[in-house]
Amino acid sequence: MVAPRVLIAEDDPDTLVILRVNLNAAGFEPMLAGDGHTALERIETEAPDAVLLDVLLPGIDGWQVLEQLHEKGNSVPVIVCSGKDNVHDLQRARELGAVAYLVKPFDIDRLIEVTSEVVGLRQTDPVTERGTAPDTELA
Amino acid sequence: MARHHRQSEPERLRRDARIAGLRDFQTPSLEAVEQRRRQLWQRTATALALIAAVVVAFAIIPSDRVAEAGTGRILFAIVGVGGGLFLWAFHKETALERLTRSLTDERVLTAALTNRLHEVSLLLDAGKQMNAHLQMDELLDTILRSACELLDATGGSVMLVEETDLVTVCALGRDAAVGQRMRLGEGVAGYVAIRRDPVLIDGHADPDLFPGLVLREPYVESAMSVPLVHRAELQGVLNVNAPIGRSFTEYDLRALAVFAEQAALAIANARLYEAERAHVAALLDLRKRREVG
Repeated sequence: MVAPRVLIAEDDPDTLVILRVNLNAAGFEPMLAGDGHTALERIETEAPDAVLLDVLLPGIDGWQVLEQLHEKGNSVPVIVCSGKDNVHDLQRARELGAVAYLVKPFDIDRLIEVTSEVVGLRQTDPVTERGTAPDTELA
Repeated sequence: MARHHRQSEPERLRRDARIAGLRDFQTPSLEAVEQRRRQLWQRTATALALIAAVVVAFAIIPSDRVAEAGTGRILFAIVGVGGGLFLWAFHKETALERLTRSLTDERVLTAALTNRLHEVSLLLDAGKQMNAHLQMDELLDTILRSACELLDATGGSVMLVEETDLVTVCALGRDAAVGQRMRLGEGVAGYVAIRRDPVLIDGHADPDLFPGLVLREPYVESAMSVPLVHRAELQGVLNVNAPIGRSFTEYDLRALAVFAEQAALAIANARLYEAERAHVAALLDLRKRREVG
């Protein structure tokens, strides 16, 4: 079975390494992007199965990446990772087509669980998960 | 979910390099992988072209002359070799693709580390410059210039708390702003001071969100305001404006907020120094009066 490819768009090198190691161990094939431009480029050229998108990225930030994907009609499932836990950002992520919103600092097992659901490795009832702040599935 | 034992990144890189035919894989580079890919497909294309030529030759040569050799079996063998060659090239290509991804990831990590080091270095430099000043005027000027340099901003201001007001004590790009007062809670800076939360403005600020908002002249498209807080005490607010055509991002806001922590410490130190100097001056004055008396 081919491992689902997950793009990690994150500016912090430590977080990049931690997420890469954990996603790799969980059976995913992680890909990395340290800024918004690289994230967009790799999404377009390598078509990952899911994207973990940090809001704080140099160059163009996570919101702008999400906006551009939305404008281009790119339907790659995006999990937004943010340090802010507020309704406004949650709403914004939903409007821009993100499938889940995770609040930092997140539990790595929870992150893997959500990513697995997003790429279809694991089936759960989305209704029971929806609206369970702070980590929220949007679709 | 089951967790699998996976090869470490260097092991994977070595294995893929071996499969792809990159024998001397001491200094991995994307360029070497690209060169190997070109080489692989050039050789494969040449071999496939030769095979195609042989097949065509068989088709052209009168069938009675090659019939003895068993045309069907020969063609089958040739096509088999061609198919095998293609599969071999595809296997190598898959390894090259994995290598490209791994090396791109390594580049991303290196770039992220370099960026972080650059940021830390800029912040350290700014901290050193700020700590070199104890005179408030010089310090405020240094804070504002350093913040503008750090974020490629064209201007901004430093506002300090005076009782229930915020007073603009230093400005860059709009000198007329110096001396202006606003009550805590009024406008964007007042909101930041009360909430102690950094704010990023992109486009027109919302008057409903910021009561008492005064429209800026000239209009600023993108701006940031961060509180200057040291040991839970609000010192003031730092504002910076983006040049025309550029918008600040949340990432810039975080950088300014980190910078503001150091700036607030420097301002608190300068205030202590000013207070100490005033205290010493008062003591000296008292001593002089006693001597005269």
